[in-house]
Amino acid sequence: MKAAFKKTLLSAATSIALAGVAVHAVAADTIKIAMAGPVSGPVAQYGDMQFIGAKMAIKRINDAGGVDGRQLEGVVFDDACEPKQAVAVANRIVNEGIRFVVGHLCSGSTQPASDIYEDEGVMMITPASTSPAITERGYEMIFRTIGLDNMQGPVAADYIIHHAKPERVAVIHDKQQYGEGIATAVRQGLEEAGVDVVMFEGITAGDKDFSGLISKMAREKVDFVYYGGYHPELGLILRQSRDAGFDAQFMGPEGVGNPDITAIAGDASEGLLVTLPPSFDEDPRNADLVKAFKANDEDPSGPFVMPAYAAVQVMADGIEGADSTDPYDVAEYLRSHTFDTPIGQVAFDEKGDLKSFRFVVYNWHKDGSKTPAN
Amino acid sequence: MSESLLYFFQQVINGLTVGSTYALIAIGYTMVYGIIGMINFAHGEIYMIGTYVTFIVVTALASMGIEFLPVVLVTALAISMLVAGSYGYAIERVAYRPVRGSKRLIALISAIGMSIFLQNYMRLAQGPRDLAMPGLISGGWDLSGEGPLALSLSYMQAIIFIATLVSMGALTWFISRSRTGRACRACAQDQGMTSLLGINTNKVIAITFVIGAMLAAVAGFLLGLYYGVVNPMIGFIAGLKAFTAAVLGGIGSIPGAMLGGLILGVTENMTAAYFSTEYKDVVAFTLLCLILLFKPSGILGKPEVEKI
Repeated sequence: MKAAFKKTLLSAATSIALAGVAVHAVAADTIKIAMAGPVSGPVAQYGDMQFIGAKMAIKRINDAGGVDGRQLEGVVFDDACEPKQAVAVANRIVNEGIRFVVGHLCSGSTQPASDIYEDEGVMMITPASTSPAITERGYEMIFRTIGLDNMQGPVAADYIIHHAKPERVAVIHDKQQYGEGIATAVRQGLEEAGVDVVMFEGITAGDKDFSGLISKMAREKVDFVYYGGYHPELGLILRQSRDAGFDAQFMGPEGVGNPDITAIAGDASEGLLVTLPPSFDEDPRNADLVKAFKANDEDPSGPFVMPAYAAVQVMADGIEGADSTDPYDVAEYLRSHTFDTPIGQVAFDEKGDLKSFRFVVYNWHKDGSKTPAN
Repeated sequence: MSESLLYFFQQVINGLTVGSTYALIAIGYTMVYGIIGMINFAHGEIYMIGTYVTFIVVTALASMGIEFLPVVLVTALAISMLVAGSYGYAIERVAYRPVRGSKRLIALISAIGMSIFLQNYMRLAQGPRDLAMPGLISGGWDLSGEGPLALSLSYMQAIIFIATLVSMGALTWFISRSRTGRACRACAQDQGMTSLLGINTNKVIAITFVIGAMLAAVAGFLLGLYYGVVNPMIGFIAGLKAFTAAVLGGIGSIPGAMLGGLILGVTENMTAAYFSTEYKDVVAFTLLCLILLFKPSGILGKPEVEKI
């Protein structure tokens, strides 16, 4: 009896092992693209935007015959937007032999992960990380299909100076690479124009109680608040400000612009100003693509959906154009060519940044919709 | 009152509100430590579960068309205490009782494992995202002055104070006057002797866990209503702060947990108010270090004689 059981176990184990080999053999024909971003954690919504964009691109490229006859295969990796986990994910991607990465999402996790990709010769295109520091290290394999904080900051500062015209501004951030970076850029823009920035303070991401900060802003008679960070904290700040009777105008970067801020802040989210990439889904050239998203019951309006689509597309075009799956050849090809993508004409500079990218100021509404502010 | 005085009192109120909630969670740490001498690191997760249950009950009642506020609040509180209490019991039974006789480190590791398990279990059951609930109780009183600079106390803040004081009062009465409370104190002094005198120590310890969990559920309920947001990770920071409060006040002492919570809350807010929000955790933990250096047993804690 015992021996028979052992035998069954052994054969089961063997067949599992063989199955693994078989899958591997079939998969060797495809070109794997890692999609790294938050599947879990407080900002998983943005991960979804990235994944639906990238998956759609992979599907459409495959349906059109793939890249040089080879199919693309997307593999999702969860970094939860934590720098530590991002490093673990990057190592796993390298170990699994994947040479192309779309991601990561949060600048704080893109930064450490990109060190590994650069060292190991893996090509990475982030559709969402806006921190300038990422491409400032002279790396060869790191690209992005989104603008930079030093493009976004001035747009926000410009709007504040010429349209909002506040008297006393508070700039608050969450002490993370993305939030503090953009808050610093905005403060700099404002101070150069002579606007009075009376407070510049950091909060702790994950905090729930901002009553102390709000009382302080009320005492400083702040009439405009710029927040650099993500929506969970700003949502609570808005909600608690409303309860405390503090009614300054709030503004934030694209990290706060998603429907969840409305879920958290409720009516207090009405009139919030947000700088976002332009609504690519409203561009008539993308009507066909938008229809494909809607047919899948997916929302193409998120700020990172189309940049993620574009990231996959330039990767595929690069592999085809360079006629090589060696990431170094592809990177070389990306730097010297222009690509036509849903986010417009894409061309990269020496650092791997887009040569041009536009941000637009939107008015956020309490039903989760947005309208251009000027 | 002058503006700066109003500001000062406003920050005291803000600090006391946060502090009360630290205190409520801290009680659970301190009770368990007082009786079996271990840190229940899964306690913050019970608080998180309490908040989730509150959200679920409020949403369920709303979908059934029941929106009469007192009914909603009492039902939500009762059910979340009940559910959290059963989690408290189950955790003790599964993760702590089997390792109680062994070294302290083993129980500690078991507790950390439990905490990680509960976080991920809730993540799978309820999804990783922030869930939000509209505020049920809004508004408040302007105590002095008017406009955004007024000294104001919101209804929710008042409810948090009162609920904390009532829970503390009830707990103190329970521990000092009731039969089971006496058994708890006896267990804290000498478990072996208590057992010899015919008291079921296993039962007493289980009751301690259930009560601690129920208080965490009260905190989860109150903070769920106050902040209106929950995700599976909120238990970690809340637990850390509450643990700090318990150590600050003197771990094992119930009034100490209350005092520690309030001091921690007010210190944090005063730092944010007069210095910078960035440094509020730095100052809070520096305070903890100083207390531990000069009075290692905490403010109200008694120096412990090592039992051999």
